[in-house]
Amino acid sequence: MRTTVIVTALGPDSHGLLARVATTIAAHNANVDDVSQTVSNGMFTMIMFVSFDETETTIAELKGALETAGAEVGLQIHVQHENIFKFMHRI
Amino acid sequence: MVFITDQEILETVGMIQSENLDVRAVTMGISLTDCAGRDPRQVAEAVHAKIVRRAGRLVAVAREIEEKYGIPIVNRRVSLTPIAHILGSDDPAAYVEVTHALDAAAEEIGIDFVGGFSCLVQKGFTRSDSALIEAIPQAIGGTQRVCSSVNVASTRAGINMDAVVRMADVIKSISRLTADHDSIGCAKIVVFCNVPEDNPFMAGALHGSGEPEVSVNVAISGPGVVRNVVEQHPEASLIDLADLIKRTTFKITRVGELVAREASEMLGAQMGIIDLSLAPTPAVGDSIAEILESMGLERVGAPGTTAALAMLNDAVKKGGTMATSSTGGLSGAFIPVSEDAAMARAAAEGVLSIEKLEAMTAVCSLGLDMIVVPGDISRNALAGMIADVMAIGMINSKTTGARLIPAFGKKVGDWVKLGGLFGEAAVMAVSGAGNDAFVGRGGRIPAPLQSLTN
Repeated sequence: MRTTVIVTALGPDSHGLLARVATTIAAHNANVDDVSQTVSNGMFTMIMFVSFDETETTIAELKGALETAGAEVGLQIHVQHENIFKFMHRI
Repeated sequence: MVFITDQEILETVGMIQSENLDVRAVTMGISLTDCAGRDPRQVAEAVHAKIVRRAGRLVAVAREIEEKYGIPIVNRRVSLTPIAHILGSDDPAAYVEVTHALDAAAEEIGIDFVGGFSCLVQKGFTRSDSALIEAIPQAIGGTQRVCSSVNVASTRAGINMDAVVRMADVIKSISRLTADHDSIGCAKIVVFCNVPEDNPFMAGALHGSGEPEVSVNVAISGPGVVRNVVEQHPEASLIDLADLIKRTTFKITRVGELVAREASEMLGAQMGIIDLSLAPTPAVGDSIAEILESMGLERVGAPGTTAALAMLNDAVKKGGTMATSSTGGLSGAFIPVSEDAAMARAAAEGVLSIEKLEAMTAVCSLGLDMIVVPGDISRNALAGMIADVMAIGMINSKTTGARLIPAFGKKVGDWVKLGGLFGEAAVMAVSGAGNDAFVGRGGRIPAPLQSLTN
């Protein structure tokens, strides 16, 4: 079954942040379906829609890997199933 | 694919990360009617086995949901058929024996509280009810995780004053029994008027007779989220503010709906209710009092507090009912003094009195809750306080409860630390005027007229 999660990353801007997050996602055979990224007053904000097959990885695995990668480059990374956003903002 | 904007995504993340948005409790209601009997040992064994069988995965499922959605679930709990309904005994020791089975089952499945050591006596006592009430001090004092509630009043039956007096005695006994821990046992017993059958909040959760075999009830929270919205709009008129609160509680409640659907499916239980209550914790920023203060009151307790709370409570319910068709439980803003740091501060400063809290309970949820009173308060003064709260519920056709803590050995102004989510508070002053002759009359206050409602 295909699962879509939303990855949000926040932290001070530096080189290669997007690449670092995307590489970690690719290493888990997950796909970046959509990405938006801004830098404002030196703060990096990125939102990614990421999908993966549950036979390839799990939310917990992806979350663990991204949190570790994020900590190394000073980013706070959150991984959440898309349904929490759908439920909260749409009927 | 549903389109969600970046702003909406960041709003959700911000609510969880910086405004303490969480699901306060996922509570599994379990019917114990198939465990009923007269032999306490057999009943205890059957109850233990059923709790473990039906709720054994509750903690794991809650953890899985937390992981999946990134939303903290603070408490996992179990509510049960009132024990007086399933144990046919007039021996209080039999009820104490069953309590130990409840405590053991709760520990085994890893939950902090199990509710339902309860009875409903608004019209009178069965032999089982009497024995259970007599057993409450020992049951609460001798266990860690068992919570108790007794319904002594309802709009249709009136107030059983004999039960009120007995409960005042029970609370005094628990205060003595748990004196070494600031009488914390009293935090685990609620006296109710119009007790809900599907309440997910402790200490008053029970699984009523109209409930299914097993259900999952979810309590939402999020005072911090509402406070932030209020703070960000200092110029908004009250009607605009009500709209903003409605929009916010809609979003909070949708998270509760999602969690309830998912948890009930994973646990093979019927989806029960979403309780729309705003419930505070002692954490900074997770306070109902701070919302009221953000509206423009210098301190909760200032003139206008009841009006502000009425508006908040109503807006929360309106937003919530748009978000789910399964509202239930208590569904109103809570005002537990010790569990809300800003409420406790106002009480300690003398700005917030018990009389003001009584007025506030007429427009919100739960009544006089987590209020620390002097340890030497008389039985009749305590009974009078309980009766006053019951009267507000009875006349207004709403649930009210009393969770009063006579802190053994403590006097007005002494600080009492109850610990954890129970928080801390100063001992509050209670009017010293006597009521012995009134309370001593006993009997029942008749059910009120339901028309001519001024």
